[in-house]
Amino acid sequence: MSRRDFVRGELNDISPAQALSALNSRWALAAPGDFATDIDVLNYALTLEYLEAAFYIQGNQAGLLSGTEQAYLAKIQADEEFHVTAITQTIQQLGGTPVEKPGVMFGDAFDTRLKYLTTSVTFENVGVGAYLGAAGFIKDKTILQAAAGIFGVEARHAAIVGNLLGLPAEGGVYKGAFETPMAKADVLAAASPFLASQMGAVPAGAADTGGGSAAAKDESGLYALGGAALLGAAGAAVYAARRNGRAEDEVAQ
Amino acid sequence: MLQFSSTHDRRSFLKWAGIVGVGSGFVAGGLLSLPTMAQAQEIKAEARDDGDLGILNYALTLEYLESDFYATGLQKGFLKDRELELITPIGDHEKQHVTVVTSTITTLGGTPVAKPKITYPAGTFDSRDSFLKTASMFEELGVTAYHGQVPLIKSVDILGAAASIAGVESRHAAILAGMIGGNPFPNSIEKNASMADILAAVKPLIS
Repeated sequence: MSRRDFVRGELNDISPAQALSALNSRWALAAPGDFATDIDVLNYALTLEYLEAAFYIQGNQAGLLSGTEQAYLAKIQADEEFHVTAITQTIQQLGGTPVEKPGVMFGDAFDTRLKYLTTSVTFENVGVGAYLGAAGFIKDKTILQAAAGIFGVEARHAAIVGNLLGLPAEGGVYKGAFETPMAKADVLAAASPFLASQMGAVPAGAADTGGGSAAAKDESGLYALGGAALLGAAGAAVYAARRNGRAEDEVAQ
Repeated sequence: MLQFSSTHDRRSFLKWAGIVGVGSGFVAGGLLSLPTMAQAQEIKAEARDDGDLGILNYALTLEYLESDFYATGLQKGFLKDRELELITPIGDHEKQHVTVVTSTITTLGGTPVAKPKITYPAGTFDSRDSFLKTASMFEELGVTAYHGQVPLIKSVDILGAAASIAGVESRHAAILAGMIGGNPFPNSIEKNASMADILAAVKPLIS
């Protein structure tokens, strides 16, 4: 099974051994050149977060849920809306232009509770894979930590909704001992049926060597931020300043 | 509760804790099956100053703790039906994390820390409730510990492996919170904790 088949395939059928093998091939990072800059990664994430937020806003208005399920999905909606706001602010702080909110279409996803939650699990697991697949491209350690923090919350969403559906624990609620990254092309292919306007606004970007060298390059004092790294406006301002400082250093070299 | 099996082991643990310094958490991960020799050398070059190896050993200690915790708790037979189905794979995952982190450290030329001697507080395994509540605490601790290490890891491969484990710990944390009537989604972005904070949290458990 090729790596491409792996990421395209039915993830439920992937054994832990296969997951390990895929991760070992440098964890199936998106192809070199998928993201030239951190802003590219953030805009990619922003589109997905817009898609998720719109999905829950519409789904929760459909009145399909009650009780604990309703409360859980309401919180998930709030999380996705927070992600949209935080990422948008971060892109702006970095001097970038956030992508426009995409047009969305969810078909019959809100006809029944089952369809709603099933589509939700799909979105969340794609989100998990998308963040993991893009993580290696992020150069700024503060943005990386925040993106990882969002990734973890998407994993929580995926597990809880999978459990609401009564999916098998292993393969449904959990996806093995290791999360599986998804390449950008596969994420876009999975998301495209729901996007009325495509993600053309995401800059294509020039070739980058991938996260390895970029991460190794970053020796600035970002570590000092430690746990404070959230994507909120305050944190964004701090790392935007640091980022600018680093850019100057690079020019000086 | 978390006792190292010998003075030597404890010293080693604290030594790498000192190397990693302020931030911390665990991070573990694995380069899943072993990387090739060339990959290992490349990763070693990236993982300068033994920082990444220190982080991996930190992660290993925490994974040992989690793995042992579930093995012990599941033997008590408190769980049944759906709860048993949901918790059993968690124990398997932690076991796999121990294996993979250990092999990763070895492949990178490091020395994996020994499994700590663990002494659980009285009452930990008295009932379903005490078992699951402690499990929930461990999972939330693990999530914040991994996220604390994310910006500190030098090697992108180790970062990827660590993140892939962190996501799984988030799933565990959410499911356990749901089981004990807690909030599966306490934050919109995962919190992170420094190694110092994590050590402070487990210190009362170390005699």
